[in-house]
Amino acid sequence: MIGPRLVAALVATAGLGGCATSDVLLLPGENGASAGAVAVIDEKSGNDSAVLAQANERARLSSGRISPRTVNPTRIPRRDRRLIEDLPPPPKHFTLNFQEDSTRLMADSAPVLVDLIAEVRRRDGVDVLVIGHTDRLGSAEDNDALSLKRAQQIREVLITQGLDPASTRAVGRGERDMLVATADGMRAAANRRVEVVVR
Amino acid sequence: MRRLLVFALLATIASSPAFAEIGRIKRVMGAAVVERGTARLPATVGGTVEQGDVVATGKDGRVSITFSDNTRFSAGPGSRIALSEYRFDDTTRKGAFVTRVDRGSLAIVSGQIAHESRDAMKVRTPTSLLGVRGTRFVVNVR
Repeated sequence: MIGPRLVAALVATAGLGGCATSDVLLLPGENGASAGAVAVIDEKSGNDSAVLAQANERARLSSGRISPRTVNPTRIPRRDRRLIEDLPPPPKHFTLNFQEDSTRLMADSAPVLVDLIAEVRRRDGVDVLVIGHTDRLGSAEDNDALSLKRAQQIREVLITQGLDPASTRAVGRGERDMLVATADGMRAAANRRVEVVVR
Repeated sequence: MRRLLVFALLATIASSPAFAEIGRIKRVMGAAVVERGTARLPATVGGTVEQGDVVATGKDGRVSITFSDNTRFSAGPGSRIALSEYRFDDTTRKGAFVTRVDRGSLAIVSGQIAHESRDAMKVRTPTSLLGVRGTRFVVNVR
């Protein structure tokens, strides 16, 4: 027999269930990196009402006072651990070097290209950003064109190796982003490069 | 002035298709969809996501995404997550990223947007606004 009191209690519980409760758990950074921080922002003032800045701090997000607590990492719920395991792998970066005023690869970059192709094949739902650079020999305009040509060439290689053209983009940055800072007009082998981000 | 604004908006729309992609789906398990306007697209590995999309998973659904600023997401079962705002300039590495978690669970590793400017990345839950200052965390909304 369900009495009116029990019904009222059930309704109240359902009401509470409908009101969302949330929490946030800050984890250690990847590969030993520091944890960083997550702030709970008070929207009226724009100030922080709480800050989680230690690894394994958890805070319940309610409208009242928020007090982060450190949890034992071994007691992090299975469902949270599963979420972390399901994160995509970190993007991987490759650098290929080029001969002077040329789209020809340096010999020692050939194995890097082999590794790059293997990484592109290994990843599910892969997308690849190819960024070309030059040193500061020659005019800025010529270097814009050369950097783009270098990037396009690597992009073409990846497409020939089976990468979907819609999944890769080539851009040229000319002599703007020097790896080694030099004066204008200077040769610098390290700056003649294509950087590839495999996501 | 107003005409200029309208023109600017139109110009933005016209040029947006080429830049619409903000991230790629890397992993899908169980039931998962991407809601784009009135369309409900099945989530597929290699599929793209755009600003304004809502990622929704069923009881057994899971979706993982990598964004163009290298931010990574993993959404758990029973989730509803809106990619409300996303801007990223891959030259300056500055931008803004606002995600709304209506329900479910989301693990995040923040990327260049959060790294470059304080609170450029935010996560909204039904009760709170979070400023992301790096790097790896989990949000649950029940």
